[in-house]
Amino acid sequence: MPLAIETTNLTRRFGAATAVRALNLRVRSGEIFGFLGPNGAGKTTTIRMLCGLLLPSEGTACVAGMDVTRDAEAIKLQVGYMPQRFSLYGDLTVEENLDFFAGVYRIPGRERRRRVANTLERVGLLERRADLTEHLSGGLKQRLALGCALVHAPAILFLDEPTAGADPSSRQQMWDLLYQAAGEGRTILVTTHYVEEAERCQTIAFMHGGRLIGSGSPEQCRAEIGEAILEVDAVPVMQAAEAVRGIAGVTGVSIYGHTLRVFSRMTEGLEGELDAALRGREVVVRGIRSVPPTLEDVFMSLTRTAPADVQDA
Amino acid sequence: MLAVVGHVARKELRQILRDRRSLVLILVMPIILTFLFGKALETGELGHIPSVILNLDGSSESNRIASAFRTYDEVLIEREVSTLTEAQDLLARGQIKAAIVIPKGFLQQIEAGDEAQLLVLLDGTDNTSAPIVEGVAQRVIQRYNTERAIRGLWERGVRPDRGRRLIRPVFVQSEIRYNPGRQYLGYVMPGVIGLTLQLLTVMLMAITIPRERERGTLDQLMASPITRLELILGKLLPFFGISLLNVATILFVTDRWFGIPVADRLPLLVLLCALFVLTSLATGLLISAVSRSQFQAVQIAVFYVLPVFMLSGAYAPIEAIPDYIRPISFLFPLMYFSRTVRAVTLRGADLAQIWPDVAILGGFVVVFLYWAILSFHKRVN
Repeated sequence: MPLAIETTNLTRRFGAATAVRALNLRVRSGEIFGFLGPNGAGKTTTIRMLCGLLLPSEGTACVAGMDVTRDAEAIKLQVGYMPQRFSLYGDLTVEENLDFFAGVYRIPGRERRRRVANTLERVGLLERRADLTEHLSGGLKQRLALGCALVHAPAILFLDEPTAGADPSSRQQMWDLLYQAAGEGRTILVTTHYVEEAERCQTIAFMHGGRLIGSGSPEQCRAEIGEAILEVDAVPVMQAAEAVRGIAGVTGVSIYGHTLRVFSRMTEGLEGELDAALRGREVVVRGIRSVPPTLEDVFMSLTRTAPADVQDA
Repeated sequence: MLAVVGHVARKELRQILRDRRSLVLILVMPIILTFLFGKALETGELGHIPSVILNLDGSSESNRIASAFRTYDEVLIEREVSTLTEAQDLLARGQIKAAIVIPKGFLQQIEAGDEAQLLVLLDGTDNTSAPIVEGVAQRVIQRYNTERAIRGLWERGVRPDRGRRLIRPVFVQSEIRYNPGRQYLGYVMPGVIGLTLQLLTVMLMAITIPRERERGTLDQLMASPITRLELILGKLLPFFGISLLNVATILFVTDRWFGIPVADRLPLLVLLCALFVLTSLATGLLISAVSRSQFQAVQIAVFYVLPVFMLSGAYAPIEAIPDYIRPISFLFPLMYFSRTVRAVTLRGADLAQIWPDVAILGGFVVVFLYWAILSFHKRVN
């Protein structure tokens, strides 16, 4: 499959700080590519470089076969961008916003009206077309923003947290729209905080401290996790967590309701050690079992095992 | 390209029309400003300056001088006072601008051959009236001296016509060709028009790009293939249209309320105003392109608009500005605008006489727009 996006050692510095370091990214044409990572990991900076809004400090990036440094304006015709922050005109109506952005992408009169009507219907805003955009709810604003990024039928879509703060049903609707766009052959690069959204992507990449710390399909990522995960059902749960943290080889413990999720570099004999440590602390252990990792586990694990310079960042 | 410019212009116009409160302000403020500035600077005809005479001598000669003052329109001798204290008191209270004092022993001094003196007390806080009264006093005395010399010769048997030929007095005859009432309003009104047009256009344009930046909409625009020229022209056009409406109302106010003849030279004045509005819009766009926030844009705009009024000869002739500061005046379009509008309204100049200034204004538009485009980047470096 041809590559829609390819970066080589892509780096961006802001003064003394490095937001993105030597990023090598390969996004195949037509896939939904999920970009995960905590705030400040460099996801937005990467997207802004790929959209031609920000010049790379070092390295190269090709989008739709064109170089972002040399051909930024030509790339812009091929891509749609939905920024993290709502950035449409609140004092224009839904339809006027779509019409404006279609016009800015040089779509001529009759064709523009057709596209605007289609997009209104597609994102489910036909009835709200005459409403001022600032009066829309958050979820509807996000759908309109997607519409504005789609109205010129771009080959590649950059979506920076398109579902931030949205309720589950709005998120579901947004993802239905993303699948529809992907079904039309568009490449989608989407950033998210929500790990369950990452499961919906064909490929995911984890960013941390400006670096890519892991990537692959969700299945691959789960399979390649370098740690074992045990679910411990024990009361009282706080004392149990404390006891487990002291065991050599345990890298992380998270509490989920009445259970602990224990990450460890050891794979053999861990259960026995856990059991022993917990009994010594007068904790009642109701069960210990090995569980498959979720993407969140993968992400937490990758974050812990990232190189030291990433940890500092 | 034109299609995109039109598209941006239509979007801007929609936003302007939708913001009713600002729209009213944009359309009404110029009328109010022109009216207020005009009225504030309207000093009326510089004549009938309220004055009194204190004739302490009471001789035939002093009476002659006192009555000579009454023949000049520039001063209005309200009455004769009888003491110096009274004259000083009136002056101190601002009821008169000048007191003409003929001291006791005036005639005696003349006859003794001493230098006789006329005292004029002036209110120096009004620096336009004081020199006028002083000038009148000089002329009164010059005439009096000549007449007295002729009378002296006549007493010695020389006939007055022959006496006049002997003395050969010279008088200054000044004839004011333009702005006959020498009204300050006629001088300052073009500056007021320019200031009003400039204030609004610079401010409105200055905030347009930072506002998009603050609302986040600039990101979406910069991610699109729109060119800088398209964006800047698209933003300029609707404000240009609105400013032309303002030009019409301002010229109307100037003509009707301030009696400055506009109708005779309407096409030329509209051309000058339109050109000047373009320079201001381009200046505003330049400020807009370099400002990071609306607050910063307004700050820069204020720092531009205020000194301009003082330094551009809109308010006082640039010849009054010290040599080392004067070159700055030539950097402001308002200087050329008020100069040419004054030439047109006061001297009746036509395009053939003012074309260099018109060309300079056109040059400002091109340079500022180009500069604005260069200062505005679609990409952060």
